Amino acid sequence: MKPALAFAVALTLGGSAATSAAVPAPQPRYPQAFATDLGVTQLIGETDADAPVSGVQIFVAAGLDRESASNNGVSALVAESILRTPVSTGDGPADTLPLRDAIESSGGSLTYTVDGRSVHYYLEGRSENLSALVGLFGKALAAPDFSPAALAVARKALLARVGEFEGNALSVGIQMFRRSYYTTGAGAPALGTAATLTRLSASDVTEFYRATYRRGAVSSSAVGRLAPQLGEALKTLAMGLGDGPVSAVVERARPIPGQAPRIIAHRDVSAPWVVVGFAAPAPNSRDFGAMLVLESLLSDAFERNSATTLGFLEKSVGAFYLYDSTPASLVVYVNGTQVDPTLALRELLVVSRTLSVKPLGATALHHFKTAAEGQFITDSVSLSDRSYLLGTFASQGLGSDSINAALSALEATTATDVQRVAKAYLQRYIVALVLPRQTDGN
Amino acid sequence: MVIGSRLRASALGAVLILGASAAPAPAATGDLPDLGPNVTVGRLPSGGTVIVDPAQGAPVAAVELWYRAPSTGFGAKPLPAVARLAAQVVAASKPIVGDPLGKAVADAGGRLSITVYSDSVSISAVVPAAAAHAIVKTMTTAFFAPVVTDAGFAEAQRDVEQEALISNYDAETVVRDAVFGQLFTDGPQHYPPLGVPKDVSAIGLADVKAFATRAFRAQNATLVVSGAIDAGIAAAAVAGRPPQASEADPEAPAIGTLATAVEPVTKSFVQPSGGYGWVGPSILNTREATAMDFIADYLFRSDDARSDDGVVVKQVEQQQPDSLVIGQFITLHDPGVMFVAFEGQDEPGLRGLVDDGFALVRKPMEAHAFASALDAFKYHLLSDLQTPAEKADNFGWYSVEGAADYAPGASGEAGRYFQAASSLTPEFVAEVAEKYLGKPPVVVTLAPDESKGKAKS
Repeated sequence: MKPALAFAVALTLGGSAATSAAVPAPQPRYPQAFATDLGVTQLIGETDADAPVSGVQIFVAAGLDRESASNNGVSALVAESILRTPVSTGDGPADTLPLRDAIESSGGSLTYTVDGRSVHYYLEGRSENLSALVGLFGKALAAPDFSPAALAVARKALLARVGEFEGNALSVGIQMFRRSYYTTGAGAPALGTAATLTRLSASDVTEFYRATYRRGAVSSSAVGRLAPQLGEALKTLAMGLGDGPVSAVVERARPIPGQAPRIIAHRDVSAPWVVVGFAAPAPNSRDFGAMLVLESLLSDAFERNSATTLGFLEKSVGAFYLYDSTPASLVVYVNGTQVDPTLALRELLVVSRTLSVKPLGATALHHFKTAAEGQFITDSVSLSDRSYLLGTFASQGLGSDSINAALSALEATTATDVQRVAKAYLQRYIVALVLPRQTDGN
Repeated sequence: MVIGSRLRASALGAVLILGASAAPAPAATGDLPDLGPNVTVGRLPSGGTVIVDPAQGAPVAAVELWYRAPSTGFGAKPLPAVARLAAQVVAASKPIVGDPLGKAVADAGGRLSITVYSDSVSISAVVPAAAAHAIVKTMTTAFFAPVVTDAGFAEAQRDVEQEALISNYDAETVVRDAVFGQLFTDGPQHYPPLGVPKDVSAIGLADVKAFATRAFRAQNATLVVSGAIDAGIAAAAVAGRPPQASEADPEAPAIGTLATAVEPVTKSFVQPSGGYGWVGPSILNTREATAMDFIADYLFRSDDARSDDGVVVKQVEQQQPDSLVIGQFITLHDPGVMFVAFEGQDEPGLRGLVDDGFALVRKPMEAHAFASALDAFKYHLLSDLQTPAEKADNFGWYSVEGAADYAPGASGEAGRYFQAASSLTPEFVAEVAEKYLGKPPVVVTLAPDESKGKAKS
């Protein structure tokens, strides 16, 4: 390990021996969120009177966990097609535009993300206009265009994004881990692959849509200056979908074996990247707060000193707590352009083991909790991030005021919790290696 | 428009000042701008300006210091990157009492960034609101009486060298620097604000000390605090060292000389890329500057967080999906600069798409399409004001450039910026496009140098 890296690790763990605790800071809180039962669907909202615009996430239970090996990518293809479905914004033929363009020309924006448990659409616009944007979106959602021509355009757009994904060593490494960890579609690539996308037919797409875009599969979370009409617009949107239940899905993961399986892939990268994947607790688990602390600790403990926050390319080691799928996971990556991956990996595993056998001292615990809380908050500022967290945490049992509930879980974390969670989750792992093409994998 | 966050996100780093004789530096004790009923503007204890913008929402705050200071230093001999290095050294150095700023921000779980433009420096911390008071105190302690240590210098030099190295592989940065290098024959605008690694390693501790002492004075500072804080947070700022008689005022803008004729420039780069640059209106010509912002938004809007791409960006996505195009009007004191960069294997094809886009805006848009584009533009402005850092960036940038009350966000939608946007018409936008973009631009071409491999020339 490079001297600076080793020093940072030593400093971090050395701090754990101290016992004097700092004075606790006031507990930060987001505006209290509320839940509204709209009859056919539910809206969770956080009122922010100073927000210049407002945003709403619309979750549909049509995520990767509902895909199979034969139709991987179908969730993204449905979503991409919905964005391109023509909708009318006025009376004339010139007022019929693809959904995305219609929303843009109305002064708003629309994006979507496919994750393990859902596909979630994010609509943002002027607060007084958000309900109308939801109305436009509802039109496309109720009657999407899955014609061969529309699917061809949507497929082409996805294929370009799949290509970008394949060029990113970290994304490839995380995907390798997920594929090895999950037994269901949750382990498949979020956008599919070139091969699977090409195979998907119009009937595959229609069948998936009919099975998943059901009234009971929709929920929403919004942040901003929320008008009463928003609830009505969301209710109308849900009513536009087929009635009846959406089938239950049980996501499963393979137990991670003790001998630390190693997966290797070769890509056009300049240096090796290592992704170490661990199982992790769900947000509604009593272990959630402790895992947030460990995510923060592992993300920063190995870093060289730098006055300014290091960018992605400059970081040696980083960590992501992935709670979008059930069960959740934690990935720690090592950037081989910055540090010797073998030494960094060894150091990471030593730290993981140490954390499981020795509780943090009071000062170290306070330090890591403060840092974790700060990182959580500074990562959750935009309306998009806040509305996403609100919805995804609520759907995983943290209640309607779910972001504050996550902060409370963090604040309640004890040294014993950290040790217990390190012991339960960090001792078994899968190693995914992304190597330059010319490098021998051994 | 130049919204600081967008500049930061895209690694743009250029400020150019011309005609400074017509624009004296704002006095440290002069009139304060009116930024709306919710924003407090005051004087720092030793001079300089403090802007406090409290808001509800996420429990987070942005604490920023902005300085007018040339990236190449104050001496007769330009020292590219000295401003960037000096700011990093101060943030890394342990003061007489307390932690270095960088450590204080990291311990709070926050993020510290330093961005240097041709003639300004921004130090920005995003922290949980509960830590904002302490960070205001730590940041002003560090920068209003800078301490420069050997250890801080060594650490900072390593970090800034790496930053310069990475930036030299960023097509946008390389094209931008080339555009400014051609538009200006001297002054800080002529040089890359980050320099190249050898520029950074050539700077000595004495250079850094001299720069920090002159640039990082309270009298030369604009402190901006935005987010879940109250107006009383301004009291957390320390006075800093007492000013010498010659230090009562902020720095005057550095003056660059505009090239009388622009020549095409060709450089080697890892992959085919190119770009354009034009001189545009001053920040004081708010209607024209806003029209240029509108044009940039209409043609080149691109945001990963949203799907609402500009006309040229959409064309590039459809016709050359592996390529990239970026365009922005950089609002500056005088003149502003329209800047475009593109990267992809079919460089002539990309150039054609960009040319088509500019040809489009030199004719008046159809009324309905213009109305939609203007609505979208205003929405983008508002959406870019949703975080404390975005708002603080705006207030800091427009303050340093001499028109704080023109910052998007000042006085909300009743402010000068939105008034200017509302006054735009298809005909006026086309006139402005013709006036500034109808002239021959600086043309930059980057191409792989087969004989030299991957190095930038």
